[in-house]
Amino acid sequence: MMIHKRFLGILMGLAVVAAAFGQGARSFKISEVVVSNTNGLIDEYGGRSGWIEIANTSWGTINIRNCYLTTNREALNAELSVPERVKLMSLIPKGDSRTNLSAQQRIVFFADGRTNLGTVHTNFRLEPGKPNFIALFDGNGKTLLDSVTVPPLAENQAYARIYDADGDGYKWLVLEGEEATPGSPNVGQGQGEDKIAEWKEKDPHGIAMSIIAMGVVFTSLVALYVFFRLFGYAWTMLSKMSRVRAIRAVRDQADKAAVMAKQGLETKGVDMKVYMALIAMALKEYEEDVHDVESNVLTYHTDEYSEWSAKGFTMREWPENLH
Amino acid sequence: MEIFDFIGAKLADFLTYTGFACAEWGNWGMILAGAFFLWLAIKKDFEPLLLIPIGLGIILGNIPFKAVGLEIGLYEDNSVLNFFYSGVKNGWYPPLVFLGIGAMTDFSALIANPKLLLVGAAAQFGIFGAYMIALAMGFEPNQAAGIAIIGGADGPTAIFLSSKLSPNLMGAIAVCAYSYMALVPVIQPPLMRLLTTKKERLIRMKPAREVSQTEKIIFPIVGLLMTAFIVPSGLPLLGMLFFGNLLKESTKTTRLAKTAGSALNDTIVMLLGLTVGCSTQASEFLTWDTIKIFMLGALAFIIATASGVLFVKFFNLFLPKSKKINPLIGNAGVSAVPMAARISQNLGLEYDSKNYLLMHAMGPNVAGVIGSAVAAGVLLGFLS
Repeated sequence: MMIHKRFLGILMGLAVVAAAFGQGARSFKISEVVVSNTNGLIDEYGGRSGWIEIANTSWGTINIRNCYLTTNREALNAELSVPERVKLMSLIPKGDSRTNLSAQQRIVFFADGRTNLGTVHTNFRLEPGKPNFIALFDGNGKTLLDSVTVPPLAENQAYARIYDADGDGYKWLVLEGEEATPGSPNVGQGQGEDKIAEWKEKDPHGIAMSIIAMGVVFTSLVALYVFFRLFGYAWTMLSKMSRVRAIRAVRDQADKAAVMAKQGLETKGVDMKVYMALIAMALKEYEEDVHDVESNVLTYHTDEYSEWSAKGFTMREWPENLH
Repeated sequence: MEIFDFIGAKLADFLTYTGFACAEWGNWGMILAGAFFLWLAIKKDFEPLLLIPIGLGIILGNIPFKAVGLEIGLYEDNSVLNFFYSGVKNGWYPPLVFLGIGAMTDFSALIANPKLLLVGAAAQFGIFGAYMIALAMGFEPNQAAGIAIIGGADGPTAIFLSSKLSPNLMGAIAVCAYSYMALVPVIQPPLMRLLTTKKERLIRMKPAREVSQTEKIIFPIVGLLMTAFIVPSGLPLLGMLFFGNLLKESTKTTRLAKTAGSALNDTIVMLLGLTVGCSTQASEFLTWDTIKIFMLGALAFIIATASGVLFVKFFNLFLPKSKKINPLIGNAGVSAVPMAARISQNLGLEYDSKNYLLMHAMGPNVAGVIGSAVAAGVLLGFLS
């Protein structure tokens, strides 16, 4: 039993951790990258460098502190220990409110190899003219949250993750410098940044939404209606049947009592007055609540003395011829 | 003398910190609005449980102060108010309110007469009517959805959805939703009279059958499975609603149901009302968008009420004479529980002093709660 409890406890713990994880760090996505930044975004010190934008794609607030960024593929090597892998990564430090990302918010990290400049600076640089692998790891240094390989880009070009209205998810596109949107949702090449843009474009009057949503509301409630209509009907029928059974049982009892009374009176020679008095006595005791614990059964108690239970009346008379 | 100069300088500095020095006209306007809410609640008895926390919250949120990192404002990290506000911002107050609603609601009327579920569904058209109008007025689809949910007449659902889809409008949407919920006794009766004939108002409905405890226990379980499987995005609201109801109906967790329906619910309502009120800071609240939201909210309520009443009239066309529904319970499809049902009752008694509609109206009323949660789930699923 104890083992079962422990097992359940472990399972529940795992479920909680999995749920928290599922709704937490997994929502961070690498959303936009500029490798060579010569006339775009400047950092807090007025410098320019390649940058990586990470988006909180959830609708809750999540902190990205203690996660890791890296461009080193060796960090994927599962044979390395965690400390060895972490050495290949750039830690996102804690203690900076900017790492606490609210729903759909983005944060930009400058890949300038100068972590001494603050939280949003990494210990690596991006290499212009080459493919750049970028990975984001969870705080345990093992779990890969997201990764992308950025193709060789021209100066100031951005590689952006954009909602694919015609597909079933997101796709990466190369954007020109003026289309880069550090810290903001990505919009480029006429693509909508997300589902909202798609609804705005394809259902500007809200008719499709109203039809679909009302359809879903009605479907849900009609499903409930059908279930409870049938269930209510079945339940009512069952109740009726059980009432009929109860009535039949009472009637059978009454019939049996009538037969017994008749047989007792006619064939067993019991005096009718005595019989009726017994019933009356039992009823009286029932009404005075002195019947025993058995519900719905009239019980005649013989504990107390009465003429009906007097010992003398229960004994046979001694035959005279023995004297 | 130097000490006096020092005291004078510090006093002058102190004066710059006071609310009087920092106040703008907008703050005074909002404080007056808060006072008006308090007057409505205390003097006119309009939803005092909601309007007193919101009214005082409006006053609290509009007391200005100098932003020097004191960590006292609603929107400042680490402030106490910000901590309270996290339940609104992250959307965990509304599901807890739904837990309390579930623990307090008796679904018997609905189980006994499940066709009333359809009336609750029809009233949700208020949401989508308002959605279309909001789009026409230039709101983005996510903002329009956040505003339109006011038509569900369900404050927690409105806060839940707007915190997810249009957080910048949430303060206005929440205050609008609760204000119109308080004004249901003013908005609905004229519409109900307008859309029904005297003969319809006199329809007497057969008393509902008795519902067994087994049916009451099965309802939250089946209800959760059916609605949540169709609209998983409505899980936070639907899950907690049916969970609360199961606590009540199982008869084995009476203590938990009592806590969920009283102490816990009251605590959350206090914090929710206060922080929603606080979020209406003049700089954020006094905008054209707020005025538009109030207009759209009124329209949403009107459309929801009208569609509920008209649906019952339409439904009656297909029902035998003995099973006709009094259209005065159609308004209860909006989920302002139990105010909307009380209006049906009062209006019914006005025309026939022996026509008690309350229990019949509770059917569409609680169906409206489920319907608006489902509608919120659909909008969240499509637009998040």
